[in-house]
Amino acid sequence: MKLWAYIARRLLLFIPTLIGLTFIVFVLSHAGGNNLVLAEYINPRLTGEARALLIQKLTDEFHLNQPLYIQYFYWLYQVLQGNWGFTNTPIFSGSVITAIDLFFPNTAMITVVASILIWVIGIPLGVYSAVNRDSATDQVLRVGSFTLYAMPIYLIAVALILALGVYLKLIPFAGVVNPIFVSNLPWYNSGISYPTHVLLIDSILHGDWIVAWDAFLHLILPSLTLALAIVASIIRILRASMLEVLEQDYIRLAWSKGIAAKLVYNLHARKNALLPVLTLYGLTVAGLLGGAVVVETVFSYPGIGYWTTQALLNNDVGGIMASTLLFGLILVTANLVLDILYAFVDPRIRY
Amino acid sequence: MEIEDKQIDAEDISALIKKQGRRWDNLKVSISVFMANKTAVAGLLIFLVFIADALIVQFFPQIIGIKSPNLLVPNFMDPVPLPPSPQHPLGTTYPGIDLLDGIVKAIRIDLAYSFFVVAVGASVGAIVGIISAWAGGIWDEIVMRLTDIVFSIPYLILALAVGFILGRSLWHMSIALALTWWPLYARYARSQTLSAKELTYIEAAKAGGVSSTKIMFKHILPNVLPPIFIQISLDLGSIVVIFSTLAFIGFIPNANIPELGYLTSLGLNYVQTAPWAVLFPGLVITIFALAVNLLGDGLRDVIDPRRRS
Amino acid sequence: MSAILQVRELKQQFYTRQGIYKALNGIELTLNKGEVFGIAGESGSGKSTLGLTIMGLLPRNASVLAGSVLFDGIDVVAPIREYASKSDHKFSFRKNERIIKKLNKDLAGVRGKKISMVFQDPMTSLNPVLEVGYQIAETMVFHQPNVLAMRRLARAKARRADLEEAIRVIKSTQGNEIAIERFFEEKGLKGLEEQVLSIWRRPDLSDARKEKMILSLHSERLGAFESKVLRMVQEKGSTQGWFFKLPFISRFARSALLKEGYRKAVELLSALEIPNAEKIVRMHPHELSGGMRQRVVIAIALANNPEVVIMDEPTSALDVTVQAQILDLVKHLKTKFNTSFIFISHDLSVLAEVCDRIGIMYGGRLVEVAKTKELFESPAHPYTKMLIAAIPTLEEKEIQVIGGSVPDMRFPPSGCMFHPRCPYAMDICRQMAPDMIDVSEGHGAACFLYGQKRASE
Repeated sequence: MKLWAYIARRLLLFIPTLIGLTFIVFVLSHAGGNNLVLAEYINPRLTGEARALLIQKLTDEFHLNQPLYIQYFYWLYQVLQGNWGFTNTPIFSGSVITAIDLFFPNTAMITVVASILIWVIGIPLGVYSAVNRDSATDQVLRVGSFTLYAMPIYLIAVALILALGVYLKLIPFAGVVNPIFVSNLPWYNSGISYPTHVLLIDSILHGDWIVAWDAFLHLILPSLTLALAIVASIIRILRASMLEVLEQDYIRLAWSKGIAAKLVYNLHARKNALLPVLTLYGLTVAGLLGGAVVVETVFSYPGIGYWTTQALLNNDVGGIMASTLLFGLILVTANLVLDILYAFVDPRIRY
Repeated sequence: MEIEDKQIDAEDISALIKKQGRRWDNLKVSISVFMANKTAVAGLLIFLVFIADALIVQFFPQIIGIKSPNLLVPNFMDPVPLPPSPQHPLGTTYPGIDLLDGIVKAIRIDLAYSFFVVAVGASVGAIVGIISAWAGGIWDEIVMRLTDIVFSIPYLILALAVGFILGRSLWHMSIALALTWWPLYARYARSQTLSAKELTYIEAAKAGGVSSTKIMFKHILPNVLPPIFIQISLDLGSIVVIFSTLAFIGFIPNANIPELGYLTSLGLNYVQTAPWAVLFPGLVITIFALAVNLLGDGLRDVIDPRRRS
Repeated sequence: MSAILQVRELKQQFYTRQGIYKALNGIELTLNKGEVFGIAGESGSGKSTLGLTIMGLLPRNASVLAGSVLFDGIDVVAPIREYASKSDHKFSFRKNERIIKKLNKDLAGVRGKKISMVFQDPMTSLNPVLEVGYQIAETMVFHQPNVLAMRRLARAKARRADLEEAIRVIKSTQGNEIAIERFFEEKGLKGLEEQVLSIWRRPDLSDARKEKMILSLHSERLGAFESKVLRMVQEKGSTQGWFFKLPFISRFARSALLKEGYRKAVELLSALEIPNAEKIVRMHPHELSGGMRQRVVIAIALANNPEVVIMDEPTSALDVTVQAQILDLVKHLKTKFNTSFIFISHDLSVLAEVCDRIGIMYGGRLVEVAKTKELFESPAHPYTKMLIAAIPTLEEKEIQVIGGSVPDMRFPPSGCMFHPRCPYAMDICRQMAPDMIDVSEGHGAACFLYGQKRASE
């Protein structure tokens, strides 16, 4: 019963956070003065009189002549309507919503794959490190994760490119797919695949296995880089948490029951040790999102992050503000989901 | 400990609390604990090397033959990156910039700006956090909500956006980072202060009649400041990394500025043929971050009595 | 009276940053079958450490310098002691940890099955993320899966008529256990008796309800596959062997056995007088009160009917009514199953209730051992005398406080541990530690007042 109360409370908290988020984006986008605002919302293809008319219309619509706090509501109204402005970058020029629609699926793809990798690699290693404390493997893992933690993401990316892409020539490291494969496909047009905009999924849907395999190969390095950047902290946190759990009375009781060691570690200890990791996972998501920006840039992977850096380099204020809002929305939603998930996992919260 | 039957006044309590509270005052013991930690010492030495580099380039650039400490020196005659050789001990990167020269200069720039970010961001944040926790009430709520809002956007992206609005230069980048960094410290300092407030011996001090401000300065701050200080030293590494990441993705237009991230980005197009151009600057940052982390861990072992046993 | 557990000259210490903490300094103890042996002492006397060492539950900074703990033909502390003697100055926590891990593996067959422990603090002894029913059932699934299988199969085989007859037998013999056991055994329904009796004995149900529940135990449908698996478990006696390692089978067997384990957990908790046990087993520890949690811990310890149960201050965190229930339980188990207990407590009055013999611990040594009555009537050791005098009683008297405090075991006093606080201290007490001297039959005290026997170094 109390579980639903907790979820309801958490959902309620979601709203003020959203308001806060939108407010800060609003303040940022209007801090540069009215011209910057206008720049966001003018369709770059308009010129001359049509443009002047639009400027007039926008000034009215956004009430740019009114004090800031009033402007906020009009701006918010536009945002909720789906008018997020325009972006003007080499890779895409047009309405922001369209840009998000086209690029977001790729970012989602690599972040999801990276998350899976993080859990699949990180958790067993973290548990192993704690269970076999101070063993040779543990020392190697500690040094390794310490180093990975210190490395900037772009260096991890470069290192992987060198190791897997250049020296071992295993995996490609630029773009989503080798252009040769996609030159004649009906469902692929100038970098965008249909219907899901994720090349891997679309190619599977269309039964084109060659393209699918190539898309998969191109997926590996970006996801792996993201995963490695984050997994270091996961291993450290899990190791510390696990060590603390193993000191507890209830573990001693588990030993006294004479049950198998594997059961003590993997059921009794690990379940408890994962709780702090889950709590901190919100930070991990933030890291993944920030990391996606760098990773997509290095690998020229057409996702939101790549679009963001392009916007930065081309002084495209519409792109920057919209992407900030988007990333914020993703993070806030992710935190909400995580909090609710945590309630399911930790019985103490429920009752 | 047997408590004799006599009048115990506030001063005695203060003294008792002080004795229990500040175990690291014993400087000699602390230093020996630190020195015993070999990795921490290594971290300290490397850190000092970096500082030395920055200081030398700042004050005596001629000694090592640096002519323009704030600019990179491209050589358009030979733009393709060259491998390490006697003239270019670390090789060159595009367009013809000597890496050793570039890196030595870049260390100073990166360190200077990062120190700024950490000093301003962390101290402002810490002060706000401590006061917020100590005062409580509505101010605390306001600070909490404010930090919540800032945390709702991933750090890199927020810094990017703020910096963009301010203007795409190195200086504005640092301001943006500092602006987005302080909430983290406010939160951290706040939680430290709150748990220090909860400690039973503070209750004892209050019961003994010690004044509020006195408690704050004599008992809370000495417990709260050291962990914050440690966190600052650890975060120095993180800031340098984030700083260089922003530069790497091209925050500064037409940059000819020695900056480690930027240097790395210059070599990116040649990664297949000239890996040293990307690896060397990147490794320098990694080594710095590593050193700072080891140093911070070593300091933490000294200051946090729990970790000692 | 046969000895079931023997501790010989046990010397144990902890390595800490603040120094070497000498917890046990030569313990000699014999536990007889069916006996309740109490261990009394102040905090810091080492009594909890003794319990943990007997179970072999030591942290990696613990080392056994000398002595042995003999149980079920094994010397529990042998590996740790051997490592300690080999390593001298180069004691490595990592290697010690490996030895302890191996010890855990070797003792797995004994712990939980033949010897178990009830820990001191019920608040922290239970795993917060697992249901209490699971925590009880787990130990049974591990150590006696055949019993669980048997019960389940018996329920499948029984017919309503059998149970109706059983109810008649219960009523006519007034719940006589042996009669009912024999009844079911004759019917080939072994395994049903404890289920039926448990229902019958529950105080929170009406008679009519009880009958209904007993009758519902018949012909519980069992899938052919499940039945086969359970039969295999019952015959083999365990879930070892390649068959049970197969992925699907192991899951299947485990979940079937766990279900039965939960049922038995309900019975155990009902026997410990927890009402609504069916609901309780699905709960998590934080939903239960301290008294209930402690009873869960006791249920876990007793689930497999061990020969020895070590109870470390089981009642200290609970109120007096619960305390009384637990003491009654101890007495009941002693009579019925001949279970031996080591009952550790700082409260002499509690020990007086339930123990056959009591040992007084001080400074990591046993300073007096005697039968309960004799200990209270004619205590020999000065420390014992002072402990007894310090018990508040109904008579009016001045509360005697023992001056001084428990010694810091990093720097234990020379000679007899108690000499700094002893009113009868003599010169020799300062110099040498006394051996256990027989004051009378079965009553020993380690004090020079009763003779000049010295401790062998």
